[in-house]
Amino acid sequence: MERKRELVSFLPVLLLTAVGFASVYAARSSQIGAGSLGYGALFLGIFVAIHIVLRLAAPHADPLLMPITGLLAAIGIMMIYRIDPALAAAQATWLLVGVGLFAAIIFFLRDYRKLDDYIYLLGLAGVFLLVVTAVAGYDPNNSGVRLWLKIGGMSIQPGEFSKILLTIFLAGYLHSKRELLSTSTWHLAGLPMPPAKHLGPLLTVWGMSFIMLLIMNDLGPSLLLFGIFLAMIYVATNRLSYPGMGLVLMAGAGLFAYFTKAVVHLRVDVWLNPWTDIQGKGYQLAQSLFAIGDGGLFGTGLGKGYLLTASGRPLIPALQTDFIFSAIAEELGLAGASALIVLFLLLCYRGFKIAILAEDGFSKLLAAGIAAGFGLQTFFILGGVMKLIPLTGITLPFVSYGGSSIVANFASLALLVLISNRTNSARPLPSASEGAA
Amino acid sequence: MNGPIRRLFYATIALFAALMGMLAYQQVVNAGPLADNPYNTRKVYAQMSIDRGLMLASDRTELARNREEDGLFYRVYPQGDIASQLLGYNDVKYGQSGLEHSLNDYLTGTADEVELANFFDTLSGKQQRGDNVKLTLDPKVQRTALSDLEKLGKRGAVVALDARTGAVLAMASTPTYDLNNLEADWNQLNRDQNGPLLNRVTQGLYTPGSSFKLVTTAAALESGAFNPDSKFNDEKGTINIGGNVIHNWRDQPFGEHTFAEAFAQSINTTFAQVGEKVGQDRLVEYQQKFGLYERPPLELPPDEVAVSGRYVNGSLASPGDSLDPVQVAWMAIGQEKVQVTPLQMAMIAQAIGNGGVMMKPYVVDSILDRDSTVIKKTAPGEWKRPIRDDTARTMTDMMIKVVNEGTGQGARSGKVQIAGKTGTAEVGGGKGPNAWFVGFAPAGNPQVAVAVVVEDADERGHDSSPIAHDVLLSALGM
Repeated sequence: MERKRELVSFLPVLLLTAVGFASVYAARSSQIGAGSLGYGALFLGIFVAIHIVLRLAAPHADPLLMPITGLLAAIGIMMIYRIDPALAAAQATWLLVGVGLFAAIIFFLRDYRKLDDYIYLLGLAGVFLLVVTAVAGYDPNNSGVRLWLKIGGMSIQPGEFSKILLTIFLAGYLHSKRELLSTSTWHLAGLPMPPAKHLGPLLTVWGMSFIMLLIMNDLGPSLLLFGIFLAMIYVATNRLSYPGMGLVLMAGAGLFAYFTKAVVHLRVDVWLNPWTDIQGKGYQLAQSLFAIGDGGLFGTGLGKGYLLTASGRPLIPALQTDFIFSAIAEELGLAGASALIVLFLLLCYRGFKIAILAEDGFSKLLAAGIAAGFGLQTFFILGGVMKLIPLTGITLPFVSYGGSSIVANFASLALLVLISNRTNSARPLPSASEGAA
Repeated sequence: MNGPIRRLFYATIALFAALMGMLAYQQVVNAGPLADNPYNTRKVYAQMSIDRGLMLASDRTELARNREEDGLFYRVYPQGDIASQLLGYNDVKYGQSGLEHSLNDYLTGTADEVELANFFDTLSGKQQRGDNVKLTLDPKVQRTALSDLEKLGKRGAVVALDARTGAVLAMASTPTYDLNNLEADWNQLNRDQNGPLLNRVTQGLYTPGSSFKLVTTAAALESGAFNPDSKFNDEKGTINIGGNVIHNWRDQPFGEHTFAEAFAQSINTTFAQVGEKVGQDRLVEYQQKFGLYERPPLELPPDEVAVSGRYVNGSLASPGDSLDPVQVAWMAIGQEKVQVTPLQMAMIAQAIGNGGVMMKPYVVDSILDRDSTVIKKTAPGEWKRPIRDDTARTMTDMMIKVVNEGTGQGARSGKVQIAGKTGTAEVGGGKGPNAWFVGFAPAGNPQVAVAVVVEDADERGHDSSPIAHDVLLSALGM
């Protein structure tokens, strides 16, 4: 039943993908060749492959996850293709690797709950990746942000993988400690507060995020990690005091960073007023706003926006990664860009729903952590490029160009698929409750 | 755990609603201002397929034309650096400035009054063309102004106005730059401490020094308390006002003298007393009558025309702020916190030379279509009447004395009687003063008004008078 719904949902996605690539081709046929229309065929292949994998190994998995993420990835590669066809080829390769890892996890990690036995190992691995990046990381485009690691000629962003490992660790850890962490001994402004000795985990993760911020010089990954942690500890304990205290701690760290870290200071100043140094520090955000504003209600049309200069270089630095949403907003307008936001909300909705339906605490926490991660990451980067919040350099899940991001997000997705498959298989009438929750 | 998960989802909805709200704001509400931002090059890019109108000088010298390449039109400035800050740039990467920005609708044929005709051209498949703009700028006068400034090798500004109409005949600012090399030179132009991109005539805010005695004198004469023959005695070359000492240049004492002599020799001690007597209210009233605290209505983009007035910590103060007696005395000699643009000073000279009628300054003579038919012509218009006709005549006589016997002898000409007022404004910081000459000619029948300022000038301020002389004679065809 779930797979039939999935197949039906794939059809409009495929249609949209085909129409999208065709319109990019039509608008820019003088610059790009017809051979690249093969991306449509590639997507068809990927969708069929994913569908078969799920039929074989996770037949009861949530039927909307793959159509949603498939559409996101299609929009992403279409936009990347429009910006630079050569980058789209690389992105297609990464998509294949991501789907490969996805299939491998579905096949070999069917009993994902075994991960609960190795959480300390996984947590250590996650921290290790961060430490390695902090020590040996480099900064390829001199943005002042050290997030990259070079392994055998390939650049990867270990932060993306460490995010998953730490989410799994937190799911296991918080699940086992939730009783203890939920106790409250005193009240502050009506909120039940945990005893001071149980603040250890909160302070540890806060400290870690803070050190990450100081060493890697970037707000994005450390804010995201801390945000995921706050969401998960809230789910585990049902105590608002944790996210409350967390936000206070985060504000403190943020203030400290604002006054001591040039990168953070700059990001905040540019956010407050990108116009004072529009040709220098404010250039990127100003150009992003120009692009978004130019989109208007219905956009310029695919391939017709002013994204590239006469020499073919993107007008906005990091257009295909952090600023891909600005390109989408210009060419698809408020109509298309808000549809994309709704798509992300739908992804979060499925994630949280999987968490609610899941039968054991570990699965609930893991699914909620992954869903919260998708939501926060989307909020941070979209809020940044449209001047809602200061810019933090992170990718838009499934849409932005970048191998690490794509592969890591497909791995997270595989975990959500496995959790929902397990829940639905265990229930006697898996499809009956589908519309209820 | 389902309760908190559900609430977490509601929080996510709230965050995404904020995203939607901001997106709608940027794409709908803020879209217009974003599109109009001069640094947003989209409009420039979209308009590159339009055959942009020419910019012509008053003698039809081409100041800006186009070079076509693959159906796109690129700007060429045949006169190079002659009036770069005034003309401005039109660059796909760096946006627009100057007249290229403020006259864009005419130059692209998208102004309301011409749009319909061009719309039919578009329908019939003709190349979309903008309209030509003819300026009042006289290339000969402009070249004189620029080359005099460049010979000095100092930063400075010269502006010449038609004394009867307010038309801009010359507007030069140094250092200048070649508009044709904008993209290649951009970083260097922005780094340059001398600010070549700055239009010093309209954006440069300078301490007026003694040239501001024009305004003080107008207030003093019309107060009825002073006339050119009013007697003064200066024994010491310094004067104590409210415990502060105001000095003449090198503390020179002038002995017994008249108000006209004090004006010709620019005697600070006398003007400090005059200022004290006239009082703050009347001084400020005349500053406002002469257009300070208001943006002169020139056709440049508003952010390229600075407002003259009293500046405190970088922003324009209210004219009503109350001042100490010593501040009033300093203001009377142009050394308080009053900051003026050369354009403002030229307009003051223009008003005095024009019987007390200040005209709206303008630089666009007419808009022409491609067949040279005039679509729109600027009619000179009165802006203000700061002083009476008889006051203007009295002041003209006093200004003649400055050039013939006083501090402005460097501008004196055997061919025409020039009237003017000098100023040597101390700027501190180990730099030489700003040297001013503000005046007009011929004194008997004023046709051209001029303001010259030279930064870091020689100590007695001799740098600007000869430039004013050359520019006035050039404008008068002598």
